[in-house]
Amino acid sequence: MNFQGKAGVSDEMRYLTIALSKGRLTDLSIDLFEAVGIDCSELKESSRKLILFDEANKIKFFLAKPSDVPTYVEYGAADIGIVGKDTLLEEGRHLYEVLNLGFAACRMVVAGPAELQGKLDKLNNKRVATKYPRIAKEYFEHKRKESIEVIKLNGSVELAPLVGLSEVIVDLVETGRTLKENGLVILDTIADISARMIVNRVSMKMESERINKIIDGIRKQLEKKGEPR
Amino acid sequence: MPKWKIYTPEGVQDILFEDCYIKRNLEGKLRNLFRSYGYFEVETPTLEFYDVFAADTDLTPQETMFKFYDQQGRILVLRPDVTIPVARIAATKYRDELFPLRFSYISNTFKYNELGGGKQKEFTQAGIEVLGINSPEADAEVISAAICALKACGLESFQIDIGQVEFFKGLMEETGLSENDTEQIRVLIDRKDYLGIEEIVKSHDIPEGLKELILSLPGLFGSIDVIDEVEKLTSNRRSLKALANLRSVLEVIDDYGLGRYVSVDLGTVQGLNYYTGIIFRGFTYGIGFPVLSGGRYDDLVEKFGKKCPATGFSLGVNMVMMALDRQKIDAEKPSIDSLISYRSEGRKTAFKLCEQLRSQGLAVELDIVNRGIEEVKDYAQSKGIGGIINILDDENIRVINIITGEISNTTMNELSRKGWGE
Repeated sequence: MNFQGKAGVSDEMRYLTIALSKGRLTDLSIDLFEAVGIDCSELKESSRKLILFDEANKIKFFLAKPSDVPTYVEYGAADIGIVGKDTLLEEGRHLYEVLNLGFAACRMVVAGPAELQGKLDKLNNKRVATKYPRIAKEYFEHKRKESIEVIKLNGSVELAPLVGLSEVIVDLVETGRTLKENGLVILDTIADISARMIVNRVSMKMESERINKIIDGIRKQLEKKGEPR
Repeated sequence: MPKWKIYTPEGVQDILFEDCYIKRNLEGKLRNLFRSYGYFEVETPTLEFYDVFAADTDLTPQETMFKFYDQQGRILVLRPDVTIPVARIAATKYRDELFPLRFSYISNTFKYNELGGGKQKEFTQAGIEVLGINSPEADAEVISAAICALKACGLESFQIDIGQVEFFKGLMEETGLSENDTEQIRVLIDRKDYLGIEEIVKSHDIPEGLKELILSLPGLFGSIDVIDEVEKLTSNRRSLKALANLRSVLEVIDDYGLGRYVSVDLGTVQGLNYYTGIIFRGFTYGIGFPVLSGGRYDDLVEKFGKKCPATGFSLGVNMVMMALDRQKIDAEKPSIDSLISYRSEGRKTAFKLCEQLRSQGLAVELDIVNRGIEEVKDYAQSKGIGGIINILDDENIRVINIITGEISNTTMNELSRKGWGE
């Protein structure tokens, strides 16, 4: 029997499109792709071009705001994306999350003043300040079975409990220093966060050979470095 | 001041001349294909009681439906799907018919979809359902019709992924995990999140072999070899039965000569409360979402009062149109063959000629403006009409070829004699 799918695919190779998160993930992502033989030189030159090419491998790159990367990938505008788990949780997109790249590791936590330690449950009417309203809602509603009032902020979330805007916050914590300096403590950990490689659901099937080659290559690189899969 | 009168609501569209022509042609091809398989079409109401769709929360979650009330205060919805109304019909109006019952439909459906990538809030679904039979042949017939539907639409590069939900359900039953944990694993497998699965599986007391198999689930897709491999790794009877069923369906599809369009994906674990066996999806280039999906749903019809196995698929017509466009596959466009203009002495003749040409299947536009020949030419040119027939009277007819600019004179007699073959 001849079951291989993809009947009638022409020999002409299509471009694979990769969406990279602009910011601290960019350089780390470039290192990884270069390690598996993808030419990122055009990407490294700072230019005003929005879409950059590796003609030899028929790969296109573009940089996007991290929170937009899952959208590009879900809709198939990009086949592959590199983005933080925090963004994935917040965006809740329908896509494949194929690799934990290990880098940019931190934690999504609930934090608040020390006197709330162990007393989170007792607090009626929780006001939660966060940049991640969906994650906060999901955590409190599904895991703790509580309803909360979410206050969406765009930065310096630690400030909110200090000035009485909220009781607690949901935020990313790397070292915990900022929290400590402001007299806040971690009340619970919601999730471990790190950079992930994501793939569009259709691309994974229609371009499985090329995409799996990239995934396997990167996985081997990560194993060499001793980072988790 | 009606502020919104020149706008359409988000998620619905006007479908204009060219797209509408292409869409109706596609629908026509699909309708002919379904008829050729012996499926009869039904049209279900645009409005139904909410209760009809509340029977299944997997396929049509409450928050995705457009709802309002009737005069008695009952909740109505715009149909989000046609499979469920078909199940209702089968269990009520056709309850005494001999099996199998073969339904087809091409209808607009409504959902609060997020927009983009071919998704709209109002979209056309074309599909078929076979009720009353649970056999590999029934599933294979539906999948073969799905393949032929994509081909009829003009797509050549596509893939149908087939899974069997009982395989996963069997494994989960064996682990003895709670419903909550099972659901968590399902979501992670659906996302191919290997790490997440590992975390959950590790934290429970599950036999080593079974653990390994669950961990490998997201990667269990590809050729039929996947089934051979996995069969060696489990002794779970429910799961093995699922694999045997999947294999039989693939064998039937191969006998149809359509094997090259399908591949296996045992990690397909969506809609587990709805699907009871074979599950499949169709993918093509240029579009990030499946263009069709289907599978076996043996428990649905019973919710309407009659026990009855069922299988079917539905195809997103708008999705397919977008894929055709992205893949630059040419589609027939609307066109007009000739424009007939006349002087009042030639009016009767003009109408007669129109009738003759139309009866031959040509698209003929009649000039109803009574304008000068130069203006008629400009109009024809702008509309891409190939030729003008200008009738002065019976004896004096000018045929103007817009493309070449060539003009020839003729008479009605001559035209009737020669005919309008070309």
